[in-house]
Amino acid sequence: MKVVTGVVGNDIHVVANRLIELSLQARGFEVFNLGVNTYLEEFVDAVIETNADILLISSLNGEAEGWCREVKILKAKYGNLLDNVVFMIGGNLVVGTGSAEDIVPRFKNYGFDLVFHQVDLNTGLDELEKFMKERDK
Amino acid sequence: MSKLENKLLIDVGSTYFKLCTKDSVQQHFRDFNKDIYDDLTYKCGEIIKNYEKENIHICSSANGGLSTLIIGISNSFSLKYATNIAFNSGINIIDTVLYKDIETTSIPSDLIDVVIVVGGIDSVSNIFDEKLFKFLKELNYSNIVYVGSKKDAPYLQKNIENLVILPNIINDKLHVEEENLKEYLTNLYQADIMGKEDIKHLYDITSNQIFSTPYIVNKTLPMIDSKFKVADPYILIDIGGATTDIHYSKDLVDENMVTQNEYDRLVFKKLGVYKSKESLIFAAKNNEFVYELLAHLKVTENIFDESSEKSTRVLMQLAIFLVLCKVSAYRQAYVNLKLLALNSVVFTGGITKVLKQEEIEDIVTFFYKKILNSSHNPTIVMDNNYDVWTLGMLEK
Repeated sequence: MKVVTGVVGNDIHVVANRLIELSLQARGFEVFNLGVNTYLEEFVDAVIETNADILLISSLNGEAEGWCREVKILKAKYGNLLDNVVFMIGGNLVVGTGSAEDIVPRFKNYGFDLVFHQVDLNTGLDELEKFMKERDK
Repeated sequence: MSKLENKLLIDVGSTYFKLCTKDSVQQHFRDFNKDIYDDLTYKCGEIIKNYEKENIHICSSANGGLSTLIIGISNSFSLKYATNIAFNSGINIIDTVLYKDIETTSIPSDLIDVVIVVGGIDSVSNIFDEKLFKFLKELNYSNIVYVGSKKDAPYLQKNIENLVILPNIINDKLHVEEENLKEYLTNLYQADIMGKEDIKHLYDITSNQIFSTPYIVNKTLPMIDSKFKVADPYILIDIGGATTDIHYSKDLVDENMVTQNEYDRLVFKKLGVYKSKESLIFAAKNNEFVYELLAHLKVTENIFDESSEKSTRVLMQLAIFLVLCKVSAYRQAYVNLKLLALNSVVFTGGITKVLKQEEIEDIVTFFYKKILNSSHNPTIVMDNNYDVWTLGMLEK
């Protein structure tokens, strides 16, 4: 399964980004890592070019809040090309404090299928694999 | 100059011929009522006859270049990569079509020299379909090349006549692979010259391949410090009669495009001071800071209606200001350069014959102050002697 990943916006947490890449590869995913400082449109374009199954965006400094509000607009722009792509986001998704109860629905409303706020990487990836298995049943 | 021993270098520009020998560089204004070859041999025949054909090297930007249409599936990868390669191959006129919008895109009426189709990494298939063939049927083009996913190549070849297939420019890591397409476009430029009455006679005086001038300038950049006091990162601005080019160090951009080139090129078509004067004035009038700039230069907008040495100087100053605006964060263009990190700005082309160093410095300072709110001051380097293109010519 193909995954496009990277860190969104002006976020340069390169170590976390590399750990995500390694973990995904260890689980057998084919990974396209766009690295840090990636624009939302680049993520979506990379999914189109690679025909990826999953888009996994990460954010550690809360940049996601400002950058990911337009996921639905981008999805609409590309129409059915993105219909089967799973949109996932994880990390520390907002600036300051906030509870997952508030944040998860907010990001789902932005257009993400799976949202993990301050959840450790392996738990998030376990949930992703579970989600994909359920979906492909 | 030792490499220049017995060699004559000629640059045929849209407004000037430049000739470089081991002793000097000279320039001649072109007579547009004459064929390029006749005009060149009339003005420079005495010099040319002293050299063997194999020792004469010519580059040219005078034949208008190739017009290119790129069809790709995303802005950030396929279209961006192919556009970048085309610019670095010396092509000036580029239009792009995003494949998902192909059915609603108006068909260009002009003859397109080359259509580039690109999209997808090699493991992806079924990217293109009938929509592409329908669009191409309506289009008037001379050449077509496919540089996208390997899996789609047989299907496209079956359905598109005379399709040239080259390796994918997007590799499996989503990085750009530019050499094959670059070579194809450079050869096409060469073939185009051979077909143009105005240019092909230049082969009567040279037995070497004629390259496009921007391609040669791009080759020069890694060795520019052998002649100029230039500190990286830098940009080179070539303001010509028809277009303005910016060649820039890759250190000035944050992007995911990984190439082997240290330098890339951007072209602002119809932004020249001679053949594209009207569109330059149009662009100037649409910039909200331009009237402040004119006041700073102590002229009014009436200068746009004048035809004098002074008005040419003002147009060149405006061109500098406008291209800096276009590559700054102030105007979201194809590429935004980190201008606050810039150490040097090199100016080449006719501009170095018209503007004094202090006039250019004045505009650059004005730009930094007004647009970037900064007192940053990159060093201005003038290629007064047209040396930049000669370095690349000798390396070819």
